[in-house]
Amino acid sequence: MLELTTIIPFFAGIIAIFMPVRVGRGILVLTALLHLQLTVMGWLGKITPAFPEYFAVTDEGMLILLVTSFVFLFISIYAVSYMSETEISSEPIYTGCTLFFLSTMTMVTMADHIIMLWIAIEATTLMSAPLIFLHRSKTALEATWKYVMICSVGIALALLGCFFVVMSMDLGGIHVPITFSSLGTVADKLDPVWLKAGFIFLVIGYGTKMGLAPMHTWLPDAHSEAPSPASALLSGALLNCAFLGVYRCHQLLYQAGLGDFSSNILVGFGLFSMLIAAIFIFHQTGYKRMLAYSSIENMGIIAFGIGIGGLATYGAMLHLIHHSLIKSSLFLSSGNVLLGYGSKLVNKTGNMAKLFPKTFTAFFAGFAGISGFPPFGIFISELLIIMGAFQQGRSVVVSIFIFALILVFAGASRLVTKMCFAPCENPEILVKENWARTLPSFALLAASLILCIWLPDSIYETIISAIATIGGSVNG
Amino acid sequence: MIELSSAFFSINHLSDALMSLTILSVLMSLGSNRLMALVKIMAFQGIVVSLTPLFLEHHESMNFSSIILLLIMLFIKGMLIPGFMYAAVKKIKIRREVEPIIGYHASLFAGLLFILLGAFIANRLHISLPVENDLLLITAITTLSAGLFLLMSRRKAITQVIGYLMMENGIYLIGTALAKETHTMYVVEFGVLLDLLVGIMIMGIVLHNINSSYNDVDTALLGQLKDN
Repeated sequence: MLELTTIIPFFAGIIAIFMPVRVGRGILVLTALLHLQLTVMGWLGKITPAFPEYFAVTDEGMLILLVTSFVFLFISIYAVSYMSETEISSEPIYTGCTLFFLSTMTMVTMADHIIMLWIAIEATTLMSAPLIFLHRSKTALEATWKYVMICSVGIALALLGCFFVVMSMDLGGIHVPITFSSLGTVADKLDPVWLKAGFIFLVIGYGTKMGLAPMHTWLPDAHSEAPSPASALLSGALLNCAFLGVYRCHQLLYQAGLGDFSSNILVGFGLFSMLIAAIFIFHQTGYKRMLAYSSIENMGIIAFGIGIGGLATYGAMLHLIHHSLIKSSLFLSSGNVLLGYGSKLVNKTGNMAKLFPKTFTAFFAGFAGISGFPPFGIFISELLIIMGAFQQGRSVVVSIFIFALILVFAGASRLVTKMCFAPCENPEILVKENWARTLPSFALLAASLILCIWLPDSIYETIISAIATIGGSVNG
Repeated sequence: MIELSSAFFSINHLSDALMSLTILSVLMSLGSNRLMALVKIMAFQGIVVSLTPLFLEHHESMNFSSIILLLIMLFIKGMLIPGFMYAAVKKIKIRREVEPIIGYHASLFAGLLFILLGAFIANRLHISLPVENDLLLITAITTLSAGLFLLMSRRKAITQVIGYLMMENGIYLIGTALAKETHTMYVVEFGVLLDLLVGIMIMGIVLHNINSSYNDVDTALLGQLKDN
């Protein structure tokens, strides 16, 4: 009964909405713990789905479920302290919607039926929209409107993509359940033209949610307007789930023998996202927007790695894990910065190294990690992607890839050094930092560090068997 | 035999008539400058679109459950959502003009271009399609692209929702055009979940806090977040 990982957060969310704030916080952390426990049990094969016609355990799904669950636990610990410092009119809404959000994201990771996946991704939009609107300001309203509008258009196009995939089944004369696992077995009989058309619409639809340029426009606004724990969740968990949608479709195309077609599309979207992020990150004035553009860049990297194939897919999967860990840590630190200075603008901050030593350590280490410095995992994953691309002889695209990485680093480091070391105009600290709000960031960074040095065998084997379905392996 | 073929003809004619009405409603919505009129056109379009499956040849053997689903679609698309929008327009007392970014004449012209585009694509795809009805796919593509166009070319939040609704109608029509086998039927019906999103958007507009932070629900005011 692996579906419990979806059902429990859902009911916990309903309870949390009607409970007093303190009880709600307790429920949040307890549910997060329970979710992690169930996820680990699922990993060990102790529990299996009860509705195999809709849900299935897949390697890539379990990987993303584990990352989501792990990140969610630390974010919810952080949120307890964050929410008591910030002025939010309806904290029960936050607690409830975060739990609903967790529930829907879990559903995405387990969904096997094409329509079930689509419903789950639509539900993540619905459940996360209240999180973005939590501050109830004009800008929050604008961000939420953009988010709902753009993602809804995306999700509508994804539905069209689903129709086309089903159409390709009809034309191929296949009668199997419309699940990815059973379609995969008969993929070569699917009508290639409609399958390709379906893939394009599905990538545009789920890519909107994943933040691939040029459909990324909602992402910087939503990430900067949402409260920091919610931003961390959006960036560290939701984007992965949307990626899973894209991944599943790519898998189907690969099994149908159309892997080249879908790979090239993914490489194109990936590179374009990285370049867009690199260009826009240069002139950012807000640090949360900067982090949001960095997310777009990293999603581009993952799409690129998956598209390249071979060794790069392994790098992309590692990148997905480490990006979630490091980026949610960065968003949590940025929450401390926001509480401390009371502004999202880089110019209003400064001298973090003196004023907020703990947050500074976490933020700067996170920045080093996300830029690809050792000893954090992104160093390895980016290296593997670059090596994989050279192995495939894609020297032109890989040089664009490296160029975009350098640009992003240059743009972001300008802002980060300003925040950390430049003198602050009015060094007035609104809310002091404390361990409750820095330890989760450190823990997430430490997880990335440990996974970089020592990757448990079960995770390694899961990644290997996940990428084997799209023709990737560590041997190139 | 003769009777059968004449019945055949009349059903085909009816579906053609419905398609023409849909295209007409698309063009009218592109040219209309009053918000209330736009809502009424959308109600009309919703009814016509959700009736379409009834009059398609390959849907003749509809069973009980698909009739029920059709009635639900009719209720949601034709009454519930337009009713919501009607209430929203009444309640928030927004100015009645549509306030286009692209003018009405240009929009109409674009609408005609979409019909051409639809015909072109439908012609191209014709070989691999199960439908006998040529107009259906043309109408579907026209509605879809005109909806997207409306969504982008109108300033008010509510007109964006209307554009989205039209786009969704287009998707429903495409789904109907492609639906031949039984398992496709039930995939198409899931499109009704998109109406949920529409409902949420309208609720967002109607909800008190949007009204109090704005005097007017205008997405031009939703222009504060941008990259410098």
